[in-house]
Amino acid sequence: MNVETSGLTRSFRRRKAVAGVDLALGAGVYGLLGPNGAGKTSLLRVLGTVIPPSSGELRLLGRDPAGHAERREIRRRLGYLPQDLGYYAGFTVVEFVEYIALLKEMPRQRVPRAVAAAVEDVGLGDRARSKLRTLSGGMLRRVGIAQAIVNEPELLLLDEPTAGLDPEQRVQFRGLMRRMGERATVIVSTHLVEDVGAACDRVGLMSDGRLVFTGTPDELSARGAGTGVGDAPLERGYSAVLAEIRT
Amino acid sequence: MNEGPDLERVWLGVAAQVWRRRPGRVERVLAVLLRSDGLARALVSTPSLLLPWLLATVAVLTAGAAASVATGTPLVPLLAPVVAAAGIAYAYGPGVDPAYELTRSLPVGDRMVLLVRVPAVFGTDALLGLAASAASPHAAALTFGWLVPMAAVSALALAVATITRSANTGVAAGLGAWCLTVVSARAATGHAAAAVARPALLIPYAVLAVACAAVVLIGTGTPRTPGLGAPKRG
Repeated sequence: MNVETSGLTRSFRRRKAVAGVDLALGAGVYGLLGPNGAGKTSLLRVLGTVIPPSSGELRLLGRDPAGHAERREIRRRLGYLPQDLGYYAGFTVVEFVEYIALLKEMPRQRVPRAVAAAVEDVGLGDRARSKLRTLSGGMLRRVGIAQAIVNEPELLLLDEPTAGLDPEQRVQFRGLMRRMGERATVIVSTHLVEDVGAACDRVGLMSDGRLVFTGTPDELSARGAGTGVGDAPLERGYSAVLAEIRT
Repeated sequence: MNEGPDLERVWLGVAAQVWRRRPGRVERVLAVLLRSDGLARALVSTPSLLLPWLLATVAVLTAGAAASVATGTPLVPLLAPVVAAAGIAYAYGPGVDPAYELTRSLPVGDRMVLLVRVPAVFGTDALLGLAASAASPHAAALTFGWLVPMAAVSALALAVATITRSANTGVAAGLGAWCLTVVSARAATGHAAAAVARPALLIPYAVLAVACAAVVLIGTGTPRTPGLGAPKRG
């Protein structure tokens, strides 16, 4: 298992953003759904070793991130796209992706080819030498995805990766997620249930810091049969599960 | 990229060569010294070590040296701590580095980057300050006297920037504290330069520098207990 959590919590002062999450994930694409404030981003930040958990068990890629050496080893094999990707406006696309690759401690001789592959994978080859300040929001999102995948991570965490992408780019991105999921654990937080239906093997639905549903996209769709609100089966399943826990 | 895997491989090889950035000599030497390509790249891209910033620093210190010559007041020793404080507050950190959240998830962490950038910025500013002092005859006696206050003010600015997640606040704190010190010294002795010339102040400066450095180290470490950091949406 690449991700193992048991009773994982994360509090910010009195508020529990993550309130006891159990996960056991191997290779594949895992979709994380939930309303705003459900705890998806906090969970991804804990899994990305950005912030430590408040309590509970956490093992990533078979290692305990509480230890410095093990955390460093996890980070070498990790790809993380934050919800708000900060970037250096004066860097070009390849300079930014290269910078992150070097900070991921990739061997320098491997970096140019890995950067080229990542930039091509996200369809930014024609803007490779453009300054980041000149790119659109969707392009910047793709730069963020490129830096996340440049080291061919074994654990890839993507927070709202398709925000700002046009429909064609979203379709291409789903293909990329599926390819990555063949050998890595990909966890993608999103509001777009169609992304989950098209690319994810499994899906978790969070509400108030808890995982209130875990299963396949088909199983989530089935929960909404005849009851849920929404235009698509997954949307109906999503709203049915949330309505159920609120009553 | 639909022409087949071989063509794709060839293209990636070409793209890698065309797009690759050739590190300069300084970066290559730093990579050997620091034993890290990532740290070397981080160091050469430090905002306060880039040419525009360095030119601004030189301009401020040159104006200080010129004013010292004209008025007889040793301005360089009084300017140098603030210049260094601004440079160090902008060296790295939350609110300064736009990719801070991302760098928290990288093996070469934000704290390591900070630890190589701060001495580099401090050393550069100290050298520039020494050069300006040497060119300012009235300040020659104080040439080394301001290094300790400079360390204290820089450490204070960095500590405040780290805690508040704002470089501007850090600079304001450093500037405010230094102005207060200079004004107090002038009120007590009649000479503003007493802020850097009185040996009795060296120990308080040193204690402040060490205490602020400790705050920075604690503030930039990965917290073992929750409470630091803010929740985000989602």
